[in-house]
Amino acid sequence: MADERTPLGANPGHAGETGEFAHLSEADVRGSAYVGRRPLEGGDHGGVCSYPYQLPNRQPDAPLFEGPYAKRLERIRSRYPDRRGPLLPVLNLAQEVRGQLTPDALTRVAEVLDLAPAVVRGVASFYTMYNTRPVGRFLIQVCTNVSCNLCGGDEVAAAFLGHTDTEPGEISADGLFTVIEAECLGACGFPVAVQINDRYFENVTPADVPGILERLSAEARATGGDTG
Amino acid sequence: MAYPFRDERETRILSAHFGDPQARTLDGWQKRGGYGALRKALEMGPARVVDEVKNSSLRGRGGAGFPTGLKWTFMPKDDSRQPHYLLINADESEPGAFKDRELCRWTPHQLIEGALIGALAIRAQHVYIYVRGEFFEPAQIIGKAIEEAYAAGIAGPDVMGSGIGIDVTLHLGAGAYICGEETALMNSLEGRRGQPRIKPPFPAAVGAFGQPTTINNVETLCAVPHIIERGADWYRSMGTEKSAGTKLFNMSGHLIRRGNYEFPLGFNLKELIYDVCGGIRDGRRLKAVIPGGSSVPILSAGEIDIALDYESVARAGSMLGTASVIVMDDATSMVKQVRRIVEFYAHESCGQCTPCREGTTWMAKILRRIEAGDGRPEDLETLVDLSRNMTGTTICVLSDSAAAPVLSSLRKFRGEYEALLQRDEPVLATA
Repeated sequence: MADERTPLGANPGHAGETGEFAHLSEADVRGSAYVGRRPLEGGDHGGVCSYPYQLPNRQPDAPLFEGPYAKRLERIRSRYPDRRGPLLPVLNLAQEVRGQLTPDALTRVAEVLDLAPAVVRGVASFYTMYNTRPVGRFLIQVCTNVSCNLCGGDEVAAAFLGHTDTEPGEISADGLFTVIEAECLGACGFPVAVQINDRYFENVTPADVPGILERLSAEARATGGDTG
Repeated sequence: MAYPFRDERETRILSAHFGDPQARTLDGWQKRGGYGALRKALEMGPARVVDEVKNSSLRGRGGAGFPTGLKWTFMPKDDSRQPHYLLINADESEPGAFKDRELCRWTPHQLIEGALIGALAIRAQHVYIYVRGEFFEPAQIIGKAIEEAYAAGIAGPDVMGSGIGIDVTLHLGAGAYICGEETALMNSLEGRRGQPRIKPPFPAAVGAFGQPTTINNVETLCAVPHIIERGADWYRSMGTEKSAGTKLFNMSGHLIRRGNYEFPLGFNLKELIYDVCGGIRDGRRLKAVIPGGSSVPILSAGEIDIALDYESVARAGSMLGTASVIVMDDATSMVKQVRRIVEFYAHESCGQCTPCREGTTWMAKILRRIEAGDGRPEDLETLVDLSRNMTGTTICVLSDSAAAPVLSSLRKFRGEYEALLQRDEPVLATA
């Protein structure tokens, strides 16, 4: 569920372990202890926004904008002066539930916001974080842009592809992993940066890759649910 | 303390509480003097706040270095065209830049305080904080801080009992570098494709949702509370005459101690690389430095004994930009890195303007074949020609940004390109 986004232990090198702040736990650095759990229906003000990531247990056929999500939709709408403004947050919400934006999900978003479906599709296809095709349960985005590239970004990307036995963008045979190269993730001081669903892994080397994949697999076994 | 390393020579103002999880909470922030500047600003009123920031000589930290106070004066001085909007650009995605992420996740209340003071100055009713979609943790931390600010009556319908209402909303992007361009950011906020708009009209006249709007960078607004609290003269006492105050320098690449360091503008680049960051790792030698994020011309190892302020870096033939210093050692393939940078721009081009949409794609293609040993003799001239046609011909500067590293590397590292062209390997008939 949405509120179970706890950091994965033993990140290969979250930024706190890099320098002179070794006393900080990953929760300290990530702020997860400060933020706490997020209710599905969203908070009133700051918590109102939605995130373009899938839930740990995504539901490809789940009804959109019902139950707690209906409440969240209304909260999002209340923050914008017109009917188109909420489009990105509402697309985020749809992707959060379903894991990808299928044509019928886009049509549903268009209905809810009273926009033309073509407008919604045009926007969804513009932004890279919207998955208009299915992805594995864990979307692994390896930064290979210049600062990470100088420190082995290509090698880390190759290691993820090799260990998952996939080509970029494919879903691995077990349905768990999709590996793609990402543009700059804004963590250039902690190369190589890898984003896996909503979590950042920093200072990743090719040697860390098997361990990360094993832990993700274990996490998938522990939480069950659809693996796509 | 900067993060993740610190250096005793730093002047830590914006980054004073990096690495201190207690500073994230409202309580912790107030114990560290937080929201005193907002109270003071409410007493001063919009006109005096704008004057103070104008007198401080603060310049926008998002890359362009435009004077912040002057930007604020472009907004209507009365309420005849309400609502006004303040948009905060936290769409940090310039390769090499990682300062706003740290500001957001360590000092969210510093940002909110700066945002509320900025909103007060331009009479904005609503602040949107546009955070790039990838920044889940920073967004969550800001979201929590907004929640706390509302609960304490700091944000919302009655800011600190002043009767002034300022709403704050967190808005996430969804993966598009171009949304860091201010007019593309407005389009993205409005639920459109992130394509830049032609200026004029400028945002202060016709901005987000058609209303008067100002867009400021995270680091710019984080400096504002300190200016209000300690005065414009104090701020101007740091840095150089035209580049006042401190700046976060984002150090990445082949350095021993990478990270964010805060120094007054005008700090020496060579000292920063060799003394503060410990020099080049693995005992290698310096080859090249990109001083302001991937969009600016590359400096060679011999050109780094310069002061890091807007004017000095420009005199050296580059730009300070976001002060994102990317350091490359002597084992780096310049062609490969330039190719990677150009591929980035090809991927991120919004596709509106032909010189950019076509130019970035063609440059990437040519650079790929040169790197693979399949380059053609005329390729270098074609790259120069493309670059010239991509500079100053488009709505925004993404196209110029893609051309800058190509032109500067061709000028300074031409030998590397030529060596690859002369490599005795099969040349494909068609690329």
